[in-house]
Amino acid sequence: MKNSCSSVSTVLEKYFDLEVTDEERFLVEGHLQDCPACRDALKSMEELRTLMKVPVEEAVRKEDFPWVWQKIEREIRLQKQRTWWESLRSWLDITPLFRRKVWIPAVATAAVLLFFSTQIIFKKTLSYPDVTVVEYVESQTDNVMVYQLEDPKVTVIWLFEGPEEEPTTT
Amino acid sequence: MNREETEMISRCQQGDQEALKEIFEKYHKKVYRIAYGVVRQREEALDVVQEVFIKLFRSVKNFKGRSHFYTYLYRMVMNTAIDHKRKAGKQFMSSLDEEGSFEPSDEAEKGPERILLQKELEERVKLAMDKLPAEQRAALIFRDVEGLSYQEMAEAMGCSIGTVMSRLHYGRKRMQDSLKDYVKLPGQSRGTSAVS
Repeated sequence: MKNSCSSVSTVLEKYFDLEVTDEERFLVEGHLQDCPACRDALKSMEELRTLMKVPVEEAVRKEDFPWVWQKIEREIRLQKQRTWWESLRSWLDITPLFRRKVWIPAVATAAVLLFFSTQIIFKKTLSYPDVTVVEYVESQTDNVMVYQLEDPKVTVIWLFEGPEEEPTTT
Repeated sequence: MNREETEMISRCQQGDQEALKEIFEKYHKKVYRIAYGVVRQREEALDVVQEVFIKLFRSVKNFKGRSHFYTYLYRMVMNTAIDHKRKAGKQFMSSLDEEGSFEPSDEAEKGPERILLQKELEERVKLAMDKLPAEQRAALIFRDVEGLSYQEMAEAMGCSIGTVMSRLHYGRKRMQDSLKDYVKLPGQSRGTSAVS
């Protein structure tokens, strides 16, 4: 026996895993020729490897992988469809403008502002809300408009005698 | 990483599903081997494979090319498989009648005693693997099942080569202790012969 088992045992596993240098391989192989215990150790590692590897290889051999790919493809497609809606939702969630604490008061304020602004606009445009125009006649020199006021009940005939003149009412 | 693979990964990073298919074609057996090595059940291993490739499609844009792609992928497989097993909370207590790894045609060629012994042995290996810490289990699968080098294992496991060797050493030692009836230990005669 050229070397003791203890000096070889540190590199025996590396030898088994084919990770030794040439020098280490030479050392181990020289020792193995005269040492049945280390040969047994190597054999034991080999048996263990077989025990772990063989069932895995059997399983690989029998598997239908194209079917697995189809499942992956289908799942990715489903996730893409979900992603469109989920990404919108998550964007709404993370954007400060769309957080509930912000958008509920914002919408309420906007509604109040809209209500008051429409009141102001309509008041400005409809100066005579109770007026009904009955007739309107237009010529080259004069214009006549007949309209009725609801309250008090009055019929007004409005004569425009010229473009620059003030209208006269009856 | 060769040019073809770099291009394939780059296309996948841009969301090209065809590129993912090419990656699947290239790596699915390796991914399955590692997954099966950890979970030791067909259905679960297939679930892991599916989950890994879906995860890869989503996260491959984070791969910067600083390490080999396969070590990046193997790391993902190992983590997914371990997580999967943890979530499932299975203790490998499946009965011998559960779906086996041998087809009837194979079994017909073998004697009933041999089949029983083989199944029992498989269960024992599952139990022994299950008792190992995740890192040691990963080391054994990477080396003894998938045949990675120490350097590749260190990359995949994110540790030094010394740590890889230590995990392998203690993992093997524990496995040999758990399977001492089936594996001949140095200087000992075994009770039952191993079937391979």
